[in-house]
Amino acid sequence: MNLENRRLVFILLFLFVGIIFTARLFYMQVADDKWIERAGEVAKKKITIKPPRGILYDRNGVKIVANKTYYNLMFIEDDIEDLDTLAFSKLIGISVDSIHQRFAEIRKELDRKTRSKTTGNDTVVNDYRTYLPNAFLKELSADEISNIAMDLSEFKGFYEEPMSMRDYPYPNGANIFGYLNEISGPELNSDRRFYRVGDFIGRSGLEKYYEYELRGKKGTKVILTSSRGKLVDNFAEGKLDTNAQQGPPLHLGIDIILQAYGEQLMKNKLGSVVAIEPSTGEILAMVSAPNYDPNLMVGSRNIRTNYMKLYKDSLKPFYPRPLAAEYPPGSIFKVVQALVGLQEGVITPDASFPCTKSWVGCHNHPPANSVAKAIQFSCNPYFYYEVKKIIQQGKHSSHFKDAAEGLALWEKYMNSFGFGIRPETDIFGLRNGVIPNVDFYNHWYGEYRWAFSTIRSNSIGQGEVKLTPLQMANLAAIVANDGYYYEPHLVKSIGKDGPQDKFKVKKQTMIDAKHFPVVKEGMRAAVNDPHGTARRARIKDIVVAGKTGTAQNPHGEDHSVFMAFAPLENPKIAIAVFVENAGFGGTWAAPIASLMMEKYLTGEISDSIKEKRILDQRFTNINE
Amino acid sequence: MSNFREKTVGWDWLTILIVALLVLMGIVNIYSAAFNPDRPFLFDLKTMYGKQIMWIGIGLFLGIVISLIDAEYIRKLTPAAFVTVVILLIVVLFTEPINGARSWLGIGPFGVQPSEFSKLTTALMLAYVISDNRGKLISKKSLTLALALVIGTMLLILIQNDTGTFLVFTAFFFVMYREGITFDPIILFFSNRVLGLRFKHTLVGIHFIPVLFVVIFLSIITLYFTESRHTFSFLPGYDAPGWMLLLIIITVLFSVSFFINQSFAAQRSKKKMRSAILIVYIVTVGLVGLISYTYLNVLQSHQKDRIDLWLGKIQDQDGKDYNRNRALAAVGSGGFSGVGYKEAILSSPRSQHVPESETDFIFSVYSEEWGFLGSASLVVLFTILLIRIIVIAERQKSRFARVYANSVAMIIFYHFGINVGMNIGIIPVIGIPLPFFSYGGSSMMSFLIMILILLKLDSQRKEVLA
Repeated sequence: MNLENRRLVFILLFLFVGIIFTARLFYMQVADDKWIERAGEVAKKKITIKPPRGILYDRNGVKIVANKTYYNLMFIEDDIEDLDTLAFSKLIGISVDSIHQRFAEIRKELDRKTRSKTTGNDTVVNDYRTYLPNAFLKELSADEISNIAMDLSEFKGFYEEPMSMRDYPYPNGANIFGYLNEISGPELNSDRRFYRVGDFIGRSGLEKYYEYELRGKKGTKVILTSSRGKLVDNFAEGKLDTNAQQGPPLHLGIDIILQAYGEQLMKNKLGSVVAIEPSTGEILAMVSAPNYDPNLMVGSRNIRTNYMKLYKDSLKPFYPRPLAAEYPPGSIFKVVQALVGLQEGVITPDASFPCTKSWVGCHNHPPANSVAKAIQFSCNPYFYYEVKKIIQQGKHSSHFKDAAEGLALWEKYMNSFGFGIRPETDIFGLRNGVIPNVDFYNHWYGEYRWAFSTIRSNSIGQGEVKLTPLQMANLAAIVANDGYYYEPHLVKSIGKDGPQDKFKVKKQTMIDAKHFPVVKEGMRAAVNDPHGTARRARIKDIVVAGKTGTAQNPHGEDHSVFMAFAPLENPKIAIAVFVENAGFGGTWAAPIASLMMEKYLTGEISDSIKEKRILDQRFTNINE
Repeated sequence: MSNFREKTVGWDWLTILIVALLVLMGIVNIYSAAFNPDRPFLFDLKTMYGKQIMWIGIGLFLGIVISLIDAEYIRKLTPAAFVTVVILLIVVLFTEPINGARSWLGIGPFGVQPSEFSKLTTALMLAYVISDNRGKLISKKSLTLALALVIGTMLLILIQNDTGTFLVFTAFFFVMYREGITFDPIILFFSNRVLGLRFKHTLVGIHFIPVLFVVIFLSIITLYFTESRHTFSFLPGYDAPGWMLLLIIITVLFSVSFFINQSFAAQRSKKKMRSAILIVYIVTVGLVGLISYTYLNVLQSHQKDRIDLWLGKIQDQDGKDYNRNRALAAVGSGGFSGVGYKEAILSSPRSQHVPESETDFIFSVYSEEWGFLGSASLVVLFTILLIRIIVIAERQKSRFARVYANSVAMIIFYHFGINVGMNIGIIPVIGIPLPFFSYGGSSMMSFLIMILILLKLDSQRKEVLA
């Protein structure tokens, strides 16, 4: 047996393994890209950079919603070395106990419930990692951080991190802008690619409606991380990084001076003021009273202290009355009824009805022997007879069928005014108002079991008809425009894009322009002629056209309503004022509207007594 | 002294060159793999590279001191060295375990691993025991003694829970195979006494070690491929199962050897070879078939999963396979020419994605930084070194030197094969250092001394030792 040949076994074994290793190395390192990808998965990490939110400007280019830099006091537990809690508590100004509590709290905040797929039981998983940064104190102002920052270097593991939050130069318009809050679970799930836990998201108003535009585009930074998630280096010298892009500025139709003035006038009152530019549909002011300073709702610290206070306030400052409160419009609705009657041809401008006061009450006034006079004197019986002619046109022998057909026709008219239909605009939470239709009454009374006499209250804006203050203001704009309107909206243009296309659409009502002069004359007379109901709405040297309303309120004092536009020729502003529980429309709503219009048109107030009378008046104690 | 000069034919410079190169590359690599930016000085004894250089110094010193001793004395000192290390191996069992293994003997801040040195002393002892016998073949007595020594030491290592070193000890069976160890008696006992056959000797018994190696290799290959499906462009719509392909490949290989035998083999051995080929073919097919059948039809799915996990067919990337997965990603992302020295992304000491990157997974750092060019060169370097040591072994006149040299070759081969194999994902993770590369004093010193003794013995090969 030749044992020396057995060395070949060794040599072949070595060669065999050498060749296999080389081949395998070639496959892994040169031929197959799989491991390069895997290395990327393991070590590369994308960091997102949040841009500051888009800025809001008013119609004159005044910054009304801005951003301010705040600071989070961050820490990484693993980097903390022998924390001197006593010195630290002195530095940040909270007790030693609170420091320990805060550490525990941060850990607890990152508890997350997960449901087991097999057993269906909830178990709590904690996402806290000692090697990842967490915020010890959140949203410190520049002043607060500057006190801390000086000595912060002595506390290893702690550092400051800037963040951007909202800042409101004017304490006005909270109901328009809305507020931001930390994102909730469902919101997070709606756009997992953009949002992360702790992000702020628009909760109401423009912040919510324009969330997508305002949030901007997040930037990304690709970094190399260690196995514990720490930054090691930039990847590819930052070639793959993208910059964060701030959202475009929004240019609003709001005039912040007018808005602030409106809020001042409505102080200690409940209600709304909505002013619209008739030629564009831009909302000039949208006052909701009572209101709150938007700065109270900036950041989670403020929200924690102020939200419940505001939420529990019996006067409901969060309730955006101009767009969400639906009221019976009262007598201002007579203007609509007059226009429908004229268009339908059931009356002529000279039509006269007796002020019988048999079906509906009225006040004493000279005879309403024309449409214009009926509007000027706001004669209730006049419109009762007039609307009866619209609803009961006598096309059917059955009284009930006739009413149903009449109401269906009337509903179409109402919808053409934007009443009772979904508005296509940029106001979050906007309500449609209520226009009772055939189905509504069939459901209520049964088919063919109701007629005009049943629903007559609607003739004068009572009964089932309800409009939002915004719709009332838009009604004034429609009259000012002789029959058309642009959807009332808040944002003129996004960035430099110019006017938004969707708001350039002219919406025509079913009323021909020729019928408007009669109605306008009535409104002019209501303000400017001796027996008019809205004499308090007069403005020196400017012809105002308006219509008062007094919405009956079964729960208390009547609501004071007024709508108007000015000047009569070439109107620049259309306005509706609604003051809850303030009584007759001409007494409170009309002067407020006139002050607003004067402020907008001339920039000053000529009648300081009128202004003082409004400013001194309180209505809020009624409900308190 | 004049006597010494006459008998000395000189040192094997190729081996010295390759080992020096490997040690140098190792230092360069550790400087990157364990780089501490606060202590950039290469010889800083508080860093791993500083310590490693110190170990190399001590190893070289000890090795040179030993190589000043005459080869015959080295042989005579062997039993004492062996017994000392065995005692240390027993002492170590009474220490506190570190990472689940009782292998460290700490003296102050430094510790030694007796198991690392036990490879060296066992290699010497094996050579001592086998060379005791003057005949060409090994006597039954010295064979039994050799087996007892090797298996006894292996048991001590097994109690320590040091799987890697335990595996390395199987290298000695290859060495015994070279010296003519046969397992025939056991095979014959079964075939003749139990089954009543009349064999004088069997191929399996004589070549038991390489046969076992081939069987294990074939089994793993079968397990790996049996379930996979393969499609071919010339057979559209049909995917062949892996086991079928394996059987086809085996059949083709054996047909070719059958044909070669028929055409070229000497007439005398033709018939014998033909039946040998047929028998081996039937056994091979039987083995592949049996393993495939068992894997596909007998094993439960969780048992299959366990095998697949072990083979790396399925990976638990961020769980059980974390280490291997990160090391493979590091090696694989090196590309053709590497990411550059000290530029490693995954395996750098800063990112720490690859655990144990200065010891067991040092190859991944090297491969990531130097790419295919570097890693393939290292494989070639080790292969040349191993073959060179076999060449050295076979030129020895003394059996002591030959057995020792073969042992050294096989020990280095096992370390190289297992370490690189696990770094490139063809062997499961077994903690074992890469010679001259991995950080570690015991390993570095024992390998250096091992090589220096080899060189010393070789330099005195003209002398006929016992």
